[in-house]
Amino acid sequence: MSKILTVVSREYLERVRSKSFLIGTILGPALMSMFIVIPLLTAGNGGKDQRTIAVIDQSGDVRGPLAAVLAEEGHKNLTLQPVEVGPGGLDAAVADVKREILAGNVHSGLVVPADFTRTGKVAFYNKSVSSLVVRDDMLRPALDRVMRERRFAGAAVPDSLFEYLSARTEWNSVAVTADGEAKQDDAVPFAMAFVLIMIIYMMVLMYGNHTLTAVIEEKSSRMVEILLSSVSPGNLMLGKVLGIGLAGLTQFAIWTLAFFLISQRGLTIGDTTLDVSFLTPTILVSFVMFFLLGFFLYATLYAGVGSMCNTIQDSQQFHLPLTMGLIIPMMMLTAVLRDPNSTMATVLSLVPLFSPVLMFMRVCVETPPLWQILLSWVLMALSIWVSARAAGKLFRIGILMYGQAPTWATLGRALRS
Amino acid sequence: MSAASLALPPVGAPLLSLRRVCKSYGEKRAVHNVSLEIPRGAIYGFLGPNGAGKTTTIRSIMNIILPDSGEILLAGKPLDTALRDRIGYLPEERGLYRKMKCQDQLVYLARLKGVPRAVARTRAREWLARMGLTEYAERKVDALSKGMQQKIQFAATFICEPDLVILDEVFSGLDPLNIELLRGMIVEQRERGTTILFSTHMLAEAERICDAICLIEGGEVILDGPLPRIRAEFPLHSVRVAWEGELSPPDDLPGVLHRELNEGTWRLTLAEGVDPQSLLPRLLAVGKLTLFSANRPSLNEIFLTAVLRRRQGVAA
Repeated sequence: MSKILTVVSREYLERVRSKSFLIGTILGPALMSMFIVIPLLTAGNGGKDQRTIAVIDQSGDVRGPLAAVLAEEGHKNLTLQPVEVGPGGLDAAVADVKREILAGNVHSGLVVPADFTRTGKVAFYNKSVSSLVVRDDMLRPALDRVMRERRFAGAAVPDSLFEYLSARTEWNSVAVTADGEAKQDDAVPFAMAFVLIMIIYMMVLMYGNHTLTAVIEEKSSRMVEILLSSVSPGNLMLGKVLGIGLAGLTQFAIWTLAFFLISQRGLTIGDTTLDVSFLTPTILVSFVMFFLLGFFLYATLYAGVGSMCNTIQDSQQFHLPLTMGLIIPMMMLTAVLRDPNSTMATVLSLVPLFSPVLMFMRVCVETPPLWQILLSWVLMALSIWVSARAAGKLFRIGILMYGQAPTWATLGRALRS
Repeated sequence: MSAASLALPPVGAPLLSLRRVCKSYGEKRAVHNVSLEIPRGAIYGFLGPNGAGKTTTIRSIMNIILPDSGEILLAGKPLDTALRDRIGYLPEERGLYRKMKCQDQLVYLARLKGVPRAVARTRAREWLARMGLTEYAERKVDALSKGMQQKIQFAATFICEPDLVILDEVFSGLDPLNIELLRGMIVEQRERGTTILFSTHMLAEAERICDAICLIEGGEVILDGPLPRIRAEFPLHSVRVAWEGELSPPDDLPGVLHRELNEGTWRLTLAEGVDPQSLLPRLLAVGKLTLFSANRPSLNEIFLTAVLRRRQGVAA
């Protein structure tokens, strides 16, 4: 037992004292926050770039109201530049606008015919598909409103009636939790859940890889014979995996602490204020569980692979299948998110390799029945046990396999023997 | 957990015993029916050409590979993990953590052998001083020359103050100065009562320091026992002579199989059972003798003879 602790403390200190740990601890949140900050900053306004739209307003009184509506909707980055129809007529003016678009002087062009209010027809000139956001999400709703206002005005509908008719529905979205109900800002829980899942994903991948490297290090530094003359292969493996896992947990503890300290002062990104109330005890506990179980599952798998390889290059071919275990659930996130309690979501989230991502996602968005969470933990724990035993076996066999790169066939033979 | 309570046998009685140890890799028999008794307090040479099965035997002792069959006993008890803590092992494949500080490394390896932390620290400092590496205590292994790394490795083997030390090709890759230093330390450790299993393919090296030897070839023991006894089994078989005036020996000397001149000295190889003394009158008759010495066979010669005898025995 004391030998395992000796190995654990070496592996732990070796990592925590390293420069890369320090850099990772600082850079980690920076990278991670990009996943939350960027969507929040860009959400809803299609970017903040200033854009000029050339407007040929033949009706003569649409451009003004359109500009007013756009400003009211918050699209302050759009400027409507009036283009007069000269002696050359409409065609010449349109040709001018097209030239300006190609030259990059204006973003796009809008032609409002004289009978706009009656027909509702406009022409839009643009260069790239990217301007479709401007067209569909900004100009179209605004023009719709201008047209409606004008038609109501033409039909002599009183202002009060007009306002009543064109009112929008107001939504009060409430998340129902066991503790009662709480007002919900949709963006925050989703973003937070996503950040936590990214943390699990990246930490499991990163520290799993650490395990792979650490096991290969024993062989490439030829330490393995000396170590095995003092420690059994199983205990050496256990010590390494525990030590590396503790280092990962330390890093996460530092982040959590920093996050809490910052959020105490209120953390506002764009228009959204981050709220730590999302981190309920349920979510925190399951985060730690899914991180630990996920890490140990992948670490023991990586360790098994590492013990058959002499160099990192040798391990490449086994790398992808293992990483897929994490990537596949990431790709399924949206599907599971859309219907977290569907049979597909339930079954997939119980697959041990997928649980750390998918089951945790379900816990974040809509807590699944307790038995499902517990079952996923039990299944993961069982898989860890199987995988650790296999890794120990592979380690003993793999130790003396200097000089030959392993193949899937040798891996299989070693496991069967 | 500590095996400090291990009751050691009296000096000269077997400390480590191997009984009919066998190990095959697939079809290939690496070690076959190896039985050995290593007496306490001896430097025991474990000799044989490359590929003879030395390293496989040692790895079996250290539980790095599992033998197919056979028994390994330390002081009469089956070797287990706790008892293995009493054995220091310096493998042929050397290794240290390159990014770890020298002193930390020694402490770590001592702790893995069950030495308490404080004791391990003190001993690590002592060993670094003894190796002349005190100033490198806080340096990473990477910063050391190869020779220095070997010294660290050597210190790491002895730091747990083991009862038995297994050294596999310990001198390979060292310069003569460092070989001399380590040889002195090995002898010194024997004086302290440590038993040493000294595995090498360099027979001349073994001849200098071993008390007892075992010769292994093709995975089988072909000769073992205390060096003097083995020498007695292989009687004197050559004579070196020289005369003033560079004279030559008579052509018809009885019992001489072979003669060769080397830098003014004649070397006469005798048939088995011929007493060198019996040649003396004839040699004296040639002229004024300046040199007459009856030579003990070198380990090299013993080894070659033993292999030949065994092969003839197998053939017969």
